[in-house]
Amino acid sequence: MLEYILAKYNYWIYVVLMMIGLYAMMGKRNLVKKLIGMNIFQTSIILLFVSMGVKKGGATVPILLGDGHGHGEQLIQVADYLNPLPHVLMLTAIVVSIATTGVALATLILIYKRYHTLEEDEIMAIRKEAAAYKTLGT
Amino acid sequence: MKNWFKMISLIAVIMTGALLIYGTHDMPAWGDPDSPPNSHVSPRYILEATKLTATPNIVSAVLADYRSYDTLGESAVIFTASISCLFLLRRVRKEKKGRGQIDA
Repeated sequence: MLEYILAKYNYWIYVVLMMIGLYAMMGKRNLVKKLIGMNIFQTSIILLFVSMGVKKGGATVPILLGDGHGHGEQLIQVADYLNPLPHVLMLTAIVVSIATTGVALATLILIYKRYHTLEEDEIMAIRKEAAAYKTLGT
Repeated sequence: MKNWFKMISLIAVIMTGALLIYGTHDMPAWGDPDSPPNSHVSPRYILEATKLTATPNIVSAVLADYRSYDTLGESAVIFTASISCLFLLRRVRKEKKGRGQIDA
């Protein structure tokens, strides 16, 4: 039982992080808090993928010893280096998350300029009021 | 009304989390050197990346040599994001006719 927990507890931590992010995206009404929830969600996914490339037993970062031209190079053992593929894929995911966060923050600045609030229900009330005023005017 | 919505979202989140924790039963153990992600594709990269690309850092070898088109698309993503930020945040010049004005 303890072995099972020690083998799987990292995934449970990422699931809890993902739940925090998902609840922030769904349950919170402040748009900045929703954005922070999205970032927590992405971080949990990145941690999940990186943790799948971990090798126990003295494995080091995937930078080969030696100068890369065959000089001073020992025999490469697969078990000595961490799995490089999750690192590469999560590099791409980090770039995408930075891009979405930047565009979302720019959009939030525009929303704040227009409505002077970032609370979702207040924005919807202002929009409803404006629509009612428009139909009343015509 | 609002608390009702929060309760619904909390229940949905907890159900999703329970489903995912049930799914971790099939995941490989943490740090297992013989797990499926560590034993099928990646040994080839570790063993041959330096011979094929002359780069000791396997991560940058995969990023810039094996998957360079992916990195090109990634830079396109960054470019698109920066251009859209630029268009969203630029100051709209007020014209005489009232077009392009931000109505407060």
